[in-house]
Amino acid sequence: MRIRNTLPYTFLVPTVLLLIVLAFTPLIYAVMVSFTDRTLFEPTSSWVGFENYSKLLGDRRFVSSAWVSLKWEVVTVSATMLLAVGLGVLMFETASRRQRAFFSLVFLVPVLLPRVCAAFVWKFAFHPLYGIITFPYRAITGRPLDVLSDPNSALLAVAFVDVWQWGFFFAVIVLKLLESLPPQPIEAARLDNAKPWEIHFYITLPMLKAPLVSLALVKAIESLRSFDLIYVMTRGGPGIATETLDMYAFSQGFIESGNIAYASAIAVIMLIATIVIFTVIWKRVNR
Amino acid sequence: MKSNFFGQTILWLFALIVIVPLGWTLLNAFKVNADLLTPVPKLFFSPTLENMAYVLGRDSVFAALINSLIVCLSAVAIGLALGLPGAYAIARHPNRITKEIQFFVLSLRFLPPVAVAIPLMVIWLNLGIYDTRIGMIIAYSLITISITMWLGIPSFVSVPREVEEAARIDGYGPYAVFFWVALPVAGKSLLGALAFSFILVWNEFLLALMLTTADAKTLPIIASEMSQMGMNVPWGVLNAAVVLLSLPPLMLLGLLSGFLNRAFAQKTR
Repeated sequence: MRIRNTLPYTFLVPTVLLLIVLAFTPLIYAVMVSFTDRTLFEPTSSWVGFENYSKLLGDRRFVSSAWVSLKWEVVTVSATMLLAVGLGVLMFETASRRQRAFFSLVFLVPVLLPRVCAAFVWKFAFHPLYGIITFPYRAITGRPLDVLSDPNSALLAVAFVDVWQWGFFFAVIVLKLLESLPPQPIEAARLDNAKPWEIHFYITLPMLKAPLVSLALVKAIESLRSFDLIYVMTRGGPGIATETLDMYAFSQGFIESGNIAYASAIAVIMLIATIVIFTVIWKRVNR
Repeated sequence: MKSNFFGQTILWLFALIVIVPLGWTLLNAFKVNADLLTPVPKLFFSPTLENMAYVLGRDSVFAALINSLIVCLSAVAIGLALGLPGAYAIARHPNRITKEIQFFVLSLRFLPPVAVAIPLMVIWLNLGIYDTRIGMIIAYSLITISITMWLGIPSFVSVPREVEEAARIDGYGPYAVFFWVALPVAGKSLLGALAFSFILVWNEFLLALMLTTADAKTLPIIASEMSQMGMNVPWGVLNAAVVLLSLPPLMLLGLLSGFLNRAFAQKTR
């Protein structure tokens, strides 16, 4: 007679229960608060139904921050993947084994830095008067260059820092993926005098389609965590040029009005959007 | 040969984009303001330890360091105690239910941090654990448990089943196999997974910002507040704080790069 193995139950049930409690309590609470007029300063509140949500629809700042969030996602994900694939292929083609080991270590550093630190490093590098990045521009034109205060460039400058953190890290992963491929098709193509870019465009990258799509998805998920970078570098400014949804929810709930109910409504909309979108995509990709 | 030289140049340029800002920050940490705030960047200067001493000498920094260490290490320990057994069970019993659990654990990462932080703040206020280490540990456990489980699963899958079966024939029960065989064999990759979860919570900002105001502040919060001291931003002090805050994650660099190498070496096999 086989004794039933209890291990999966004792190992999984407590952990999963705890995760469910930890994750769902705040979420349900957020949904509940979003139907009230709760503020930070008064513990009493009353039910207002969908008022917060209908107010959001007419809130131009909300529409603007949703648009900024969308731009942020598209820019950071595509730029990260471009840098990762380009640099990964470049390392694969031109670097010796020892160089690869060296570059892999160097390119891993930015992603390990606390986001707050990366933000400060670049905030000072972008400083209009003293920054090292803006120095060439100052030396040539004699004028200061203020990328973070210009509504046209601020979001791109912050996105650059995000790509700096993730793109180099993903380049290392792309290199490892390329190294894990069987060498025969590449060598066969070389014998046929295929150029390096042809080999990668037509052979290796199509072979790596699945992992690359997963990488892009991971980046899309991580791009949702833009708050710390934006908070330190621009605080959503100039004006509301870099105000993403989480930044807007934060300032509604904590800085300007203490309107927790309204902030919760924003959070709930973000929550529903991200869960639906990412669940659908993830299940499709990993079918 | 020519294209190789061209490629090498670009490769080094990219490496410089990583190294130069970091090296510059390191230099700035040892500059006085007069050397820092110059229109032409100064490469040579007489270094000062003032900034470092100022950062390390502040009571708020010391308190935040203690908070960060206690909160992060406790959360990582909870992640280890609950996440690793869970990961093992999923790795060894692949079926429909465990697949769904695995997806659920991953989907926790989809949650926008604000959507967790805002309600948690209100709940913690009601429970009286707002701005306490306990409150932070609980919040961070959600992160560490899920990430430890997620990264632990492939590590346990790579433990050869034959090794476990050999132990079972020697009379080990399923639990003994986990503790005495699977854990030690997967040990090195698991260490990488734990390092990842430590870095995630050490670097975490939004939850700490919303769940603390005074007593339980962690280091990233203190660092971000330094830019708001007085009218003139004390860039030297700020650079010193950035360097010190970045040290712990960077010390784990070797461990993590080894983790990555192993993870991809397995795929090749």
